[in-house]
This record gives sequence, structure tokens and C-alpha cells, in this order.
Amino acid sequence: MGERVSIGRDEVRHAARLAELAVPEEELERLVSQLNRIVDYVAQLERLPTEQMAEPFLPGPTAAALREDLPGPVPLAYPPEALAPEFADGFFLVPRHGAMEDA
Amino acid sequence: MSGAAAARQVGERLRAAEPLNAVLHWSQALLDAEGGRVDDMAAPGPLAAMPIAVKDNIVTVEQPTTCASRILEGYVSPYTATAVTRLRAAGAMVAAKTNLDEFAMGSSTEHSAFGRVKHPLDPARVPGGSSGGSAALVAAGVVPAALGSETGGSVRQPASFCGVVGVKPSYGRVSRYGLVAFGSSLDCISVFGRTLDDAARVLSVMSGPDPLDATTVDRPPMRVPEPLPDLRGLTIGLPEEYYPPDLHPGVAAALARVRNLVRELGGELREVSLPHSAYAVPTYYIVAPAEAAANLARYDGVRYGPRKVGPDGDFRAVYQATRGQGFGPEVRRRILVGTYVLSAGYYDAYYRKAQQARALIADDFRRAFESGVDLLLTPTTPTPAFRAGEKTDDPVSMYLADIFVSAISLAGLPALNLPAGRSEGLPVGAQLIAPSFGEERLLAAAAALERVIAAEAEVR
Repeated sequence: MGERVSIGRDEVRHAARLAELAVPEEELERLVSQLNRIVDYVAQLERLPTEQMAEPFLPGPTAAALREDLPGPVPLAYPPEALAPEFADGFFLVPRHGAMEDA
Repeated sequence: MSGAAAARQVGERLRAAEPLNAVLHWSQALLDAEGGRVDDMAAPGPLAAMPIAVKDNIVTVEQPTTCASRILEGYVSPYTATAVTRLRAAGAMVAAKTNLDEFAMGSSTEHSAFGRVKHPLDPARVPGGSSGGSAALVAAGVVPAALGSETGGSVRQPASFCGVVGVKPSYGRVSRYGLVAFGSSLDCISVFGRTLDDAARVLSVMSGPDPLDATTVDRPPMRVPEPLPDLRGLTIGLPEEYYPPDLHPGVAAALARVRNLVRELGGELREVSLPHSAYAVPTYYIVAPAEAAANLARYDGVRYGPRKVGPDGDFRAVYQATRGQGFGPEVRRRILVGTYVLSAGYYDAYYRKAQQARALIADDFRRAFESGVDLLLTPTTPTPAFRAGEKTDDPVSMYLADIFVSAISLAGLPALNLPAGRSEGLPVGAQLIAPSFGEERLLAAAAALERVIAAEAEVR
């Protein structure tokens, strides 16, 4: 974290793209300021010496990750088509993928 | 009382409590159906005709589950949470779905897409959050118990603000199946009660392994413990880091009174140190947003929820428009922070570092308990309930409302809020913390204190 640089408009736009989140231009400046405030605050962790540590902490039973993954019935009160904005013939319908078709 | 009579009574109380804005969905017809179902049960069980409010991020088939978000407006789950199924099988009635900070992200229930919840004792103040609707309903006497969820203190903190009991179980004690995921390594369905006994009975019924949640621990359900007559033989640790010199004077006075009561009941007090708890809030605000950024990726306008079609009309535009318009400001901030700390070039500096800090925080608790301390006693919150609007402009000042509760969540430990007096008319809470799966002793010891604390008396 030593070479941490402050977050600018480009970093916010990049994170928003990765997160598939539309961020209106008029909100950008406020988000830049708030994200800097948050990231500056959490960066106090850099004061914590952790170099010698190997294992991160995970709560819960250690056996969970090794349990056999067996399919089982999960009864639903409604089928997926009742939930989706558009659904037909077993598929969720989405608008065309413009970028892929153009390529 | 019959289920039908209980349904009518709680319906009247829900109508009277409408100004609190604590409820997102309820209807007298659904309540009457719940009452009828209980009256038809051959053996209604330990929670017979007990009305319970459920935070609206816990799914139920009969009502919508919105997580107080526009992105899930109108969503009705096709299945019911294990916790709710177990409560119903024990005779409980789902009374209402309660308001919350959107996707449980917040400490004041001001970040709800459906308006803020008002504190039952002072409408200008917040009830805490994120489970503020459930806390307010219990505090207002509408229901004896309510479900909330904790990721980093979202039941204990509002319980403290509202002057009710709030119990967070050990991670893995209660199934998360049907709790809408926020931070999966932290999330716990938790419970509010008017009394410890109400909360303990609800927790006992909900607890135990669930094949539908692989992170539940294979232990028998928690028993409702007999309250201890006194605290003789118990050592209560006082972590110095949780009693800063600038602690609110009303909170400090309430905790001083609790320490006196511990001594009067024959308990031993011992100072301990949890040095890494100082890093709990920054650690939490890396780990939780990172997990949230992943968990909330599923809200894309394809599988459920309203779809917003962007100007370009392709499906990335659908994702971006649906998520951009569907999530509120705090959720958007956390998704962006979570995405940023996980992104290439920053992962080691933030997320890996936070995982290591989390291990150090948990290890402090382990060592304190191994040194012979049975329970830890701290304030639940640094101040009583604050005014609405006071912290909405500065996200970090809002985050610091959870300074005494987040380390426990990171360590996966059980803890509770016990109402411990009032300061200028506002409730103040004491927090008791136990080792993992030490809920029974935690509740039994807290019940000894509950009997002698004058929870509604002014402390200074």
C-alpha cells in the first residue's frame, strides 16, 4: 500500500465498468471524493505488520469445502419463468449482444 | 392465546406503528392465515402463536422480498428461508417483513429505497441499522421477537439504539439458506427480543445444521439455557480497547453500572487486551464490500427484478442500466469499493492484507478466552442513537457507529446486546461476547444481569 495513489475519475470509471454499473457523469466527482475517503480510511491497515502470516482466517466448519457436492431436490413454489423479466422455451431472454455480433 | 386472536392483536399494533415506517410488507389476510395455520397444528410447539417480524432480506414465499432495494421491487422468492420454516414449524407466525438499509448495507436504516425508519422514542433519530425495522418493531411492543441479519453488527447496534435484546449467534449456528447474501463469510441470521428468553427461544428453534447450507456446523441445536442465579465462578474480561477515554459519558456510566452489577453478582472482572480490534472497521470495510461486489453481481435484470434497457439496447447496457438505476448510493459505493480492492494491482494491498488482519483480530479473541476469561463485556455502540441525517454525508463516520461490533463479526463469535440503562432518555446497551458456540453460557449469564439491570433507568 506504500505506493498507493489517490483514486481519480478514471479509476472510478474502471471499477464501474468491471462492476457493470452505470455511473452518471454528474455523480462522478462526488464518488471520487467518497471513494478516496473510504480507501484512505481502510489504508490504515498498512501499519499492521503481517508479512510473516500465511493463512487467512475463515469462519465456519473447515469440512464444508470438502463436502461431496451431490445434487438434490430443491422444490420451488414458482418456476423461473415466473420470476424473469423475459423467459421462453427454458431460456432467459436478453437483448442482443451487440458487441459480439459486430465483431 | 389462539393464533387467530394473536393475529388480530398484532394486526392492530402494526397499524398503530405505521408512522415508524418499520414495515415493508404485511397484510391482515396473511396474518389471519398464519393464525389459522397455528390453530390447526396438532402440537404447535415452543413458539405457539408467537408473532415474529422478519427482516426483508430473508426470503418467504408469501410476501415479496425486496432487501429495501428498487432492484428487487416486486420480487417474490420461490422458496422460504430455513430459519423461517423452522420457526413456523414451532408455531410462530410471520407478522411482517421489515424495513432495512438496502441489502443490509448501513447503520441507520436511512439507506432504504422505501424511506427511513424512525426511532420509536424519538422520530428525529435513527433506530440503528441495518435491521432497523425489526429493532423498532420490537422496541415499540408490536412483536416480542424479530429476525434481523448481521454482517458486521446489524442486529446488536440497532438493538442497543432501541433498547432491546439483540443476539448474534456463532457463524454456522443458524442456516443462511434464504438469507439474501451480502458478505457470505460474515452473514448470520440473528434475533431481536423484548427479553433474553424470547430471543433465546427463537434462536434455539432456528439453530442447527441444515443440508441446504454447507457452512452450518454439525452440532445439535442450541438449548434454551436456565438463567444463572448469579455470576459466581465466571470471569468477565474488559478489553481496554473498547473503553476509549472519549466514550460517550452516558455509555461509560451505563457500563460502569454493569461492571458493578457483575461484581455484586459474584463475577470476577479482569482487564484484557484485544489490540487488533483497532483495525476491525477498516478490515470489515474491505472484506464486506469485496464479498458484496461478488454476491450482488447476480442482480443484472436478466433472471429477476425489473429490467432497465439502456440506450444502446445490448445486454451489457441492460446490466449497467439495471444496476445503475436499481441500486441506491450506499450499495453503489460498496460495490465500487469492493470491485476496486479486488481489482488487478490492488488485491494484495487491500484484500489479502484485510484477510490477514482478520486472522489477527480473531486470534486476539482466542487468546483472551484461552487465558481464562469466560465472556467479554464492552459497550455495544460508542453513542446512543444519533439524529437522522447526521452521518449520511460522510460514509466513514457512519461506519464508525459499528466500531465495537465489527471485530466480533469478523471473528465469527456469538455476542449479544443487553439494554443497560438510558442516557437523556435514549437507550444504552452493553455487549457480552462468548467463544465460538458458547451461546448457552452467554445467554445464561446475560439473564442473571437482565434480572437486576434497571434497563429503563437514567444512568447519569
